[in-house]
Amino acid sequence: MFKRIVTTLAGLAALLTATAVGAADPVKIGFSHSKTGIFAAAATSQLQSYELWREQLNALGGLNVAGTRRKIEFVHYDDQSNSGKAVQIYEKLITDDKVDLLLAPWGTSLHFAIVGVIERYKFPVVGNTAASVQLRDLKAGNIWFLTSLFPDRQSVELAKLLKKQGVTSAALITNLLPYTQENKKFVVPALKKAGIKLLVNEDYPPNVKDMTALLNKVKNAKPDAVLAYTYPGDAVLYVKGAREVGLNAATQVVLLGPQYDFFAKIFGPARNGLLTMGHWTPLRKDWPTAQKFFDDFKARWKTNTDYLDGPLAYMSVQILQQAVAKAGLDKNKLRQVISSATFKSINGPVRFEGVENIALPTMISQIQNGQQHIVWPADQATSKIIAKPAWK
Amino acid sequence: MGDLLSGQLVVATLVLGVIYGLVALGLNLIYGTMRLLNVAHGEILMLGGYLSYWSFTLIGIGPLYSMFVGMALAGALGALVYHFLCRRVLSASKLVEQIEANSLLLLFGVSIILQNVVALSFTATARAYPYLDQIIPIGNFQVTANRLVVLVIGLAVCVACILFFRMSMTGLAIRALIQRPDAAALVGIDVERVRLISFSLGFGIAGLAGGLISMLEQISPFMGFPFTIAAFVVIILGGLGNLYGGLAGAFLLAVIEVYGVALTSASMRSILLYGVFIGILVWRPHGLFGVRGAAR
Repeated sequence: MFKRIVTTLAGLAALLTATAVGAADPVKIGFSHSKTGIFAAAATSQLQSYELWREQLNALGGLNVAGTRRKIEFVHYDDQSNSGKAVQIYEKLITDDKVDLLLAPWGTSLHFAIVGVIERYKFPVVGNTAASVQLRDLKAGNIWFLTSLFPDRQSVELAKLLKKQGVTSAALITNLLPYTQENKKFVVPALKKAGIKLLVNEDYPPNVKDMTALLNKVKNAKPDAVLAYTYPGDAVLYVKGAREVGLNAATQVVLLGPQYDFFAKIFGPARNGLLTMGHWTPLRKDWPTAQKFFDDFKARWKTNTDYLDGPLAYMSVQILQQAVAKAGLDKNKLRQVISSATFKSINGPVRFEGVENIALPTMISQIQNGQQHIVWPADQATSKIIAKPAWK
Repeated sequence: MGDLLSGQLVVATLVLGVIYGLVALGLNLIYGTMRLLNVAHGEILMLGGYLSYWSFTLIGIGPLYSMFVGMALAGALGALVYHFLCRRVLSASKLVEQIEANSLLLLFGVSIILQNVVALSFTATARAYPYLDQIIPIGNFQVTANRLVVLVIGLAVCVACILFFRMSMTGLAIRALIQRPDAAALVGIDVERVRLISFSLGFGIAGLAGGLISMLEQISPFMGFPFTIAAFVVIILGGLGNLYGGLAGAFLLAVIEVYGVALTSASMRSILLYGVFIGILVWRPHGLFGVRGAAR
């Protein structure tokens, strides 16, 4: 009898051990998300990209952690678009939830906010939706930036593009929010250097409700080019106002807005010819997974991804995925791999030097036939620049 | 200087004034009759916007029709909120200050719940649809058709409200309740019923305004708060609880916003706006048309 009990217990113990080995614990990945507050509308595509990636990998058996497939489990909290909350959340994710990996929050200001925490705990994070010169110049050791849309370089490229288009005068209207202001800071000297005369240079507050008076001033100045340094909400006001007052400059740059699906739904073909910031398009044939990401996103979420944040968020998890496959979850090894390896992504190869992705040149995009094309520089372009047709 | 007289700026001012006027009217009605500070007002507007958006994109019914459905549904929601939440605040609070403070907290909670329910249901992604977006030339300027529609409907609703408050028994009862709550009860006005109607009407006007605004700008679960702030500025400018003063405040705000930018710079908008706001409150602490000690 005693022998039988011992044999049964031994069998059970063996079975339990075997189960524990076969089903590895899930990998806990933490992040804060701006589910509410001023960034909420813009931050949705970031979360959708993260979720898409998690579902895709879990369907394949999970994340490859140095050779072992482990299911992905997200731990995320609403930061309410608040930097202070984001800092608290990342501290909690590291010390209390004890997550294995971290993903980035949304936007430059929240990236900026969490740098202190991730530096203190030496926890590597691949950033995505942030592009600030100030942030880049911090030269933190545990965060990297994928985008090439840093205002200093973007401004230089834009001035070159305008000069090549024969622009000799421009009007600049700028939202008083940080990213647009940082762009203004760099584009004004870049325009001057390119010999482009600035006829109007006015800021407007983020809560603007009508742009008629401002756009009348711009129209009366008769500039060759209009640079509308907008956020998505006021980009709608700009286009509506520009159509109404008949502001028909052949070159019109709308910084943030044309990349988003809602913008396409309001304006349809009217947005053709608008230049905008962006370095991603599904139309690049040498980025074979770009179109797949576009299609997968649409199939999963029944809406188009934007051309900025959705792809950037997906790129960041692609890089983390490849780094974890090589380095596992050890933070030091991860940091080393992220800093030195070359990764594949939906936006072409990624390689970091310092905190910057040096494999991705600064580009400028344009809406043509309802699609976002890269038009600058020429060696990266999917289409040639067109003059903006008059508003209809 | 010629630009200042252009039809373009006049229409822009009128459209903006009508939007502010409509949003402020509902808020003022609820404050005037009950002293309830409805900080969820912008969220009712947001719900109206979503209703028009979904009606148009899912079943092809334009906002010209759906805004009235939105008005009715928002009115019904108002009746529920009044019946189950605000009535208790009114009966439990004896002082006006107490009613204001309690309603502020309560309706702030309602606003957060509504924002999050909509964000969870439809995501926080901004949404928009094109409707009547052709450009119409009028003399030497041009206007987008949907702005003209907003102007005409908004003005019609404002006029209808004024007639309602002046000519109908219920409207007169609402004004009586605003002017002398105690005396209104003494002369036989069914205060409870009038309060319910005022609350529903306030919500209903916000729902309708949301439908109109959805034609002009994108909607999102968090679009309401700036409108609530603007509405408070308008009704404080005009005089808290003064319905006509609120409409005057709305057009004053629009004039400052459009002509202030035309005369100075767009970056001066907030300075001008709040400068005038503070100046008026220093000059007339109860607003342009407010009366000391009573909301009218």
